[in-house]
Formats: sequence, structure tokens, C-alpha cells
Amino acid sequence: MTPSLREKFLTYLLVIIILVVFMTPIYLILVSSLKPSPIMFSRPPRFIFTPTLQNYYDLFTMRPFHLQILNSLLVALGSTAFSLTIGTMAAYAVSRIKHRRINDVAFWILSMRMFPPIAVVVPYYIIFKTMGLLDTPLALIIVYSTFNIPLTVWLMKGFFDEVPEALEEAAQVDGHGVIATFFRVTLPLTAPGLAVSAVFCFIFSWNEFLFALMLTGSKSQTVTVAVMSFWSSDAVQWGRIMAGSFVILIPGVIFVLTCQRWLVKGLTMGSVKG
Amino acid sequence: MSHTANRDRRIAAVFLIPAIVVLFATTIYPMLYALWLSFRNYDLAKPFIPRIFVGLANYAEVLTSKAFFHALITTFKLMAMTLSAQLVLGVGIALLVSQKLPGMALARTLLLIPMMISPVIVGLVWLFLYFPELGYLNYFLGLVGIGPVPWISSTQWALTAIAIGDIWQWTPFIMMGTAAALQSLSPEPYEAARIDGNSRWDVFRYVTLPQLKPVLVSLLFLRAIDAFKIYDIIFVLTKGGPADATEVISLYIYRQSFTFWRMGVGAAASFVSLIIISVLITLFFKQMQRGQAARAR
Repeated sequence: MTPSLREKFLTYLLVIIILVVFMTPIYLILVSSLKPSPIMFSRPPRFIFTPTLQNYYDLFTMRPFHLQILNSLLVALGSTAFSLTIGTMAAYAVSRIKHRRINDVAFWILSMRMFPPIAVVVPYYIIFKTMGLLDTPLALIIVYSTFNIPLTVWLMKGFFDEVPEALEEAAQVDGHGVIATFFRVTLPLTAPGLAVSAVFCFIFSWNEFLFALMLTGSKSQTVTVAVMSFWSSDAVQWGRIMAGSFVILIPGVIFVLTCQRWLVKGLTMGSVKG
Repeated sequence: MSHTANRDRRIAAVFLIPAIVVLFATTIYPMLYALWLSFRNYDLAKPFIPRIFVGLANYAEVLTSKAFFHALITTFKLMAMTLSAQLVLGVGIALLVSQKLPGMALARTLLLIPMMISPVIVGLVWLFLYFPELGYLNYFLGLVGIGPVPWISSTQWALTAIAIGDIWQWTPFIMMGTAAALQSLSPEPYEAARIDGNSRWDVFRYVTLPQLKPVLVSLLFLRAIDAFKIYDIIFVLTKGGPADATEVISLYIYRQSFTFWRMGVGAAASFVSLIIISVLITLFFKQMQRGQAARAR
């Protein structure tokens, strides 16, 4: 059905309206982060003004935002490395084992990702308190891995399923054991999967708020909690909130713009073909 | 056969056991701890009161409390609002941007951005828009003669305000899944339908929609599971208020545990919610397995 000119026009008009609606909040974060505070809520709202980096300057000088970025990076990278190691191995097992109950194991692992975080916050809080791990990056690394391991297992399972087993059998005929075959033959073929899983683990950890709020204090505070704390002060520092928000959303936006074709797989756990 | 079984065992021992051990230690153990807590009188505000076993008292309290049922109903109300809007908008937008026209690929990509934004940031930017007196939204609505709407300060509007934020963030999810599914549809039924001279709506209703149904069901299950857990955006926008207008299950558990420090009651409520979400998860897995079986055929 080749659309007529009128249909094309209507389609573009609608798509532009939709884009404006969906992009406005993101645009507002950027614009407001560059806005001097006196005109933050001026009427009518001003979109043309001399941009200032004052909010970003305040963000890093009045608060140790760079340290909070480091905390977030440490937690996100730590959890990504750990989850990727454990999760990839489990994914290989789930993909290769022929036993008929292996699917149940795979679904059990996936279910671990779907339970409400609030239900385990209190136990984590008490357990980490007794272990002296409250307000340490390690606590968050452990907690985030409970989400990232199942994610990695399901993403990587899809990639391992596509590596022909004949390749592995050939390597085994050549005298390589199961483990050597895995590292030398199979794993290199799934490098794109590893990259995608790593980015997903990173973004989920970087964006997480609830656990970070409950399990960290001043020492290991992450960026999401830090930005929220500008809100609870006497005067809401919208400029700094927006500057911080913009910093936080950068990794996610880069991810979407560079690897959007993997989003379907990662966000639907393979229940929708991407 | 025994060769395969042996190999299975070796792979399982080396590759699978670490993940299972880690998940047991980090997930099952805290859940069991929550179960243990739910039978105790654990009050963090009164550390010297012994944490005695109280049997099912916490569960009795939760299951007979008005606040808990109110939270449960609010959760499902919010779920109904967000899922229905996301379904209609998501499918509609997917149909629009799936057309083979220049620029549509870019539009599809840009629309995915909201999903990858931290829910706290989503909450904060909508707070900025809704803010009483100052927010931009009422200003622009005022220009077309609407409002001012007391978005987050009235019990009547607060839940809608939260729903709008969630719809903004997750409509792209339905759009993305639907667009992916549209691309994999086979063209033949369309040609047949076109030759028969059917209207566009009929083609969508009787050809496209039935083919999309399994994907849409999966997507809605995933949204429902997430909607049941919703927390961050409400924490930022209303903290469950005004009064209890937006107190969903997560906020109820939060309040019991960290405002009243009644960890036992919070744990009991957590367990009830775990049971409810297990039902959702099981149904979703059934759906997924059906999908896998259909693809294998």
C-alpha cells in the first residue's frame, strides 16, 4: 500500500507531535540545567537565554558529586563484572544441558529478577548491618547482582543457543576438555552478547535508586540518591537537580543511540524476538 | 545417552552451581529471612523489646487492615490505568513509525530513550512539570484554557499524575516490542486481505492484531509485573500521598518498615505481595513457554 501524499503528511504530523511529547521532558532537563536560577520558573517559560554552567559548577563544588559518580561507577562496574562471570557460565550450562528439567532451572533463575525489591530491603538492611557492610559499595554490588545475574543468563543463553554444537564437538575431538572448549571456542563467538549484557548490567545498576537509598549513607552514596537529596533540603535546588539528572541520563541515552537493536532482547528477556 | 548425562553433570557442576549458590545466598536467604521476620514482633524503634515469635499475628493484622487492601486496590488501579494506556498508545505509535518512510527509524530510536532513564530522574522531571504554582504543565494547559490542575497536591489527581509519568516512560516499551513483532509478520495474509478490498481498520483488526496477540500478551505481563513493583516514581512525586491516595503496596511496606519501624508487619505484607506476584510470574512463564514451543514447531 503506497501511502498517498495526504496520508504521508498526516503520518509525519502525528509522528512529530508524538516526538515532541516524548522528548520534551528530556529537553527540559537539559535546558533547565543550563538555566540561571532566577529565571528557572519565569512566566512565560524562557527557552532562549544565555546558558550558564553555574548549576554544573555548583553540583561539583558544593557537593562531592564527582565522588558520588565514582561510587556509582564502582558499584556498577563491580556488579557488572561479577554478574557477567557468574551469569555467562550459568547461561552456557542452561543452553547446553539436555536434561528435561533444565528449563525449570532457567525459569527459576529468571524469577529471581522479578520479585519486588521492597520485599527484601528490610532483610538486606538487617543482614548487611550485622555483617558491617551497610554503606559500602560491596553491599550494592551484591544486591545488584541478584538482578544482573538472571538478566545475563537469559541474554547469553540466546547467544549460546546460536553457536552450533558441532563446533564444540570438533574441538573436543581435538582433545580439548569441556572448560577449554568453552573458553577457546564458544566464548569468543558470543563476544557481542557479552558486550550487550555488560551494558545492560551497567545501566540498571547506574540507574537504581531504592536499594541505594536504603543501603548507603554518606560514604558510598550513589548519584541517584545524591540528586534526590538536593530535593529534601529547605529550598529545592532545581538547577542542581537538573544538572545532576542530565549527568545521570547520559549513559542510558548513549546506549539507546548506539545499540537500540539489542533493547528488545534485553528488556523482554527473549519473550519477543528482536 | 549416558555420555550426554555425564557431560550434563560435568557442565552443571562447573558452570551452573556458582550461579545457583550465589542466587541462593543473595535472594533466597533474604526471602527466608523476611519469612522469619514476618512471624516476629520485630520493632527497630524499640531495640530492647525481645523479638518474640508472634505466630500469624502480623499476617492477621495485614490481611484485616484497611490500609493494606487500599494499597492493593491502588496498585491494581494504577496498573489498569498505565497498562491500558500503554497498550493503546504503544501499538498505535508502533503502527505509525513502522511505515517504510524516511526518518521513521530515527523516530523509533529516539522514542526508546525514556525507558533507559533512571526512574528517579523520571520522577524528578515530572515533579518539575507538575510543581504547584511553578510547574510548566499548568502554564501550558492554561494557555489553552485548562486548569490549573492540582496534579500532585490533590487526592483526586495524584494517581493520574503518577500514571502519566509511568505511561511516558513505558509506552515506548510496548511500541518497541510491537514494532519488532510487526517486522517479523509474514506479508501473505496482507496481500490476500488487500486484494479482497478490506478497509485498513479491518486489515488491522482481523489480520495484524491476531498475529500480534502473543507478543502483546507477553509485553503486558512484563509491564504488569513491573507495575506491581512500582516505587521510585511515587517516592519522588508524592511519597504515597496526599493522604493515602497513591500508597501502593511498595509504599505500604516502606511505611510499615521505615516510618513505623514495624519490620515484622512489613515483612508479612512483603510475603503476601510475593505470593501475588508469583502468580503473575507463573502466568508469564506459561505464556513464554507456549511461545518457545510455537517457535520450535
